[in-house]
Amino acid sequence: MADQRNKSEYVQEGKSKKRSTLGKWTRRGFIGVGGLAGVGLLVGIGGNAFLNKKVRKYSGLGMGEGDSMNAWIRIAPDNTITVAVPRAEMGQGVYTSLPQLIAEELNVEMSSIKVIHPQPEAPYSNTFMLTQEEPNAFKGYSMMEKILASMPLIATGGSTSIPDGFTNLRYAGATAREMLKAAAAEKWGIDVKDCRSEKGHIINSGNNEKLTYGQLAEAAATINLDGLPELKKKEDWTIIGKPVQRLDIPEKVTGSATFGLDVRLDDMKYAVIRHPSTIGGKITSIKNKEDIEGRAGIEKVVLTEFGAAVIANNTWRAKNGALALRFEEDDAGNGGINSTQISTELTDILDKDPIATPVDTGDVAAILSDDKNQVIEATYEVPYLAHAAMEPLNCTVLVDSESAEAWVGHQGSSIVQNMVNEITGLPKANIKVNTTYLGGGFGRRAEPDFIRKAAAVAKEMPGVPVQTVFTREEDMQNDMYRPAAKSRFKAVVESSGEIAAWDNMMALQSVSNSAIGRIMPAMAPSPAKDEATIEGAANLPYIMKNQRVAFGNHDIPIQVGFWRSVGSSQNAFFTECFMDECAHAAGKDPFEFRQSKLANHPRFKAVLEKAAALGNWGAQDGKFRGIALHKSFGSIVGQVATLSKVGDKSFKIDHFSCVIDCGMHVNPDTVEAQMEGGIVFGLTAALHGEITWDDGSVNELNFPQYDMVRMNVSPKVDVHIMDNEFYPGGVGEPGTPPAAPALCNALFAATGERVRRLPIIKQGYTFS
Amino acid sequence: MELNINGTVKTVDVEESMPLLWVLRDELNMTGTKYGCGVSACGACSCLIDGVATRTCTLPASAAVGKTIKTIEAIASDGNLSAVQKAWIQHQVPQCGYCQSGQIIAAEGLLDKTPNPTDDDIDTAMTNICRCGTYQRVREAIHTAAKWRQEENSLLG
Ligand code: FES
Ligand code: FES
Repeated sequence: MADQRNKSEYVQEGKSKKRSTLGKWTRRGFIGVGGLAGVGLLVGIGGNAFLNKKVRKYSGLGMGEGDSMNAWIRIAPDNTITVAVPRAEMGQGVYTSLPQLIAEELNVEMSSIKVIHPQPEAPYSNTFMLTQEEPNAFKGYSMMEKILASMPLIATGGSTSIPDGFTNLRYAGATAREMLKAAAAEKWGIDVKDCRSEKGHIINSGNNEKLTYGQLAEAAATINLDGLPELKKKEDWTIIGKPVQRLDIPEKVTGSATFGLDVRLDDMKYAVIRHPSTIGGKITSIKNKEDIEGRAGIEKVVLTEFGAAVIANNTWRAKNGALALRFEEDDAGNGGINSTQISTELTDILDKDPIATPVDTGDVAAILSDDKNQVIEATYEVPYLAHAAMEPLNCTVLVDSESAEAWVGHQGSSIVQNMVNEITGLPKANIKVNTTYLGGGFGRRAEPDFIRKAAAVAKEMPGVPVQTVFTREEDMQNDMYRPAAKSRFKAVVESSGEIAAWDNMMALQSVSNSAIGRIMPAMAPSPAKDEATIEGAANLPYIMKNQRVAFGNHDIPIQVGFWRSVGSSQNAFFTECFMDECAHAAGKDPFEFRQSKLANHPRFKAVLEKAAALGNWGAQDGKFRGIALHKSFGSIVGQVATLSKVGDKSFKIDHFSCVIDCGMHVNPDTVEAQMEGGIVFGLTAALHGEITWDDGSVNELNFPQYDMVRMNVSPKVDVHIMDNEFYPGGVGEPGTPPAAPALCNALFAATGERVRRLPIIKQGYTFS
Repeated sequence: MELNINGTVKTVDVEESMPLLWVLRDELNMTGTKYGCGVSACGACSCLIDGVATRTCTLPASAAVGKTIKTIEAIASDGNLSAVQKAWIQHQVPQCGYCQSGQIIAAEGLLDKTPNPTDDDIDTAMTNICRCGTYQRVREAIHTAAKWRQEENSLLG
């Protein structure tokens, strides 16, 4: 089973379309057939235009009343083109790249587009996230996709926005264009073949008469097309694949962009939340409720099942009140959790039998136990990490007797609706979700906790909008962390440089089991079935004669979650550093060592070679270089880090060269930006990131204890995007994983010292 | 107390110790200035106080009485973006955008004092955190803005 999965993942490298298949856990472990048993009855939901095979006009779902061409496009009489983007804009540029797909086929200029974030409605389901297959609503969905669309997951994550929208949105644009042409043909009484579309107009090819899209929209919206129009060929694109300026940037330089924390409503109140001081614990009572309620500006002190909150007329007053609260608490027996214990437990797991062995080819044990072979062995370790998005978590909710409304920057509008429904008991149809810009997501803003908490607080103030805010400290201490992990390798490398055996046992807490358990409990995979945790370790491209990859689960009541690049965030560091160890043990150049093992994977090989060239691999310039190659979220990224030695264990990170093969891309400038930012994100984790535990709670409070890479340490980054016609992969996450191993491999080149535990600055290194 | 914000005197009735950040955001609904850490560690809350980029999350509003306060909302004048803002668009700097009010304020403060900054000057002045990692573009945009500001000045001069 495990081998088949690996093979199927490799086979698709040569094809441009489908990835994994259904009937087993998908790569991200998000959903499987087993978990769907309970929703089978939903297939019967009929009459939903979205599920029809025919291309037809939607009811305007999510677009309000008016002349919707389909669920994504509305054209007003004044020619304004409203595009519904149901994915969260968290800096990755979806408010521009998804409209680019539509504008290309619709033949309109990007400047004529206005983006709205629609309500969570079925057409906007992210089916790619669930199936990893190219969705095509216009050609008709598979049975599985219909099931999924009937219980929509309107979510942004897993670097899926482009893979999910790439085909659908081009058809959305193309069908709207054909509907406009048909309306014009009818009006002029000519054949539709004699109409063409150009820059927001339909032109009569016979006499050059023109009508604007706005003039035709009302008639066009009633047209039913026969069959599907052809999509443009890649070589004819003028908007897709071009560095279009982002539509959201102008308001992000004037301070006028509205993030969740910037929502201001009439008579709204501000609440600051306090969580139990122990993970999994409970605040059982508030000792000084009346005292705090007597303070100026404080409206109310509330105790919900999630914690306490002080509601006030100003965030600062609420914060001071919240800090002054005194509690009785129940630590749920978790008051002893600490980092030393966690580290010991992880080592114990490495010594035990695995719960899953996703890769087991050949006979690794025989090679390792053969006395003639010299075994290279190393154990790596990474700590828990916080997301620490720049905008602290917050959500504004108004609960009325019949309806509720939320204003929030969240990665999943359907998750918001579900959570407000769960807490208030109000019907979903009466719960409106207003999605703002997100001040960073990174996986944290896909979590349901802060919605539940805000709804529970707002419920205490019926009829009043309440903005519930986590202070930076509450945000950092109540995250859903990237889990701590240990990974042990044993390998035998032949003198020829071939890897005779590669054995990798890892110990960490299952991310999908924890995270999906919070979002959609019925669908949470068991730890043994969780592919997200092992991704990036169990799908290496290198030729290895015998290979075993195994996983042991760490069972601990800490909440872990999806953190930008998930399993790859640690597994790229582990595997690509250990590859370096193997290369050095065999006396080979780390680049050539990798290159020699990629005969089956031309795309990987091309990326590696391009990264080496861009990074001046092998240059005799007194600098130190490290290389890393990793595939995640459908895209292959190679990076070369270049360092200068400033002093003993003191370095300057001069440069990162970064090459990405993400198949076809929509906005190259955004791809570059995601690589630049992804590298900084990876370097912050490598250099500084560590969440530690004592007495069942997190020690780090704020940026002084959980520092970030800043301007002075940030390297110059050059990005190259491979040009090909493969189906698009993601770009939001794949830039992050190779950064740590490229850096650590360069440090080895400089010092001969192998960094096997992150963060690096705690090993006595400094960077400037 | 009376505060001189973006050229207008605003009267607010708040505690002496309330940080300027929260007066702006919650009392005056001027939300361009952001809360990131509350402990002067990230720069998201920066405003120009008497022309100097200052972190307002730890600055009591009372300490700003009698000084000029300039927020991100007033960096563009009469709808005309500043050279820094234009350079930010030219280089497509923001990702999520949350830190960018503070980055732009810090850049304005730097260029007012050091019209032609070196990379070292930028490293020293620009200590704001960007979790999205836009540093390279911030640096490039500052160099571009410096050039544009000098060109503007020579036209005026
Ligand atoms: S919010 Fe003031 S420096 Fe971070
Ligand atoms: S742009 Fe997101 S924190 Fe800087």
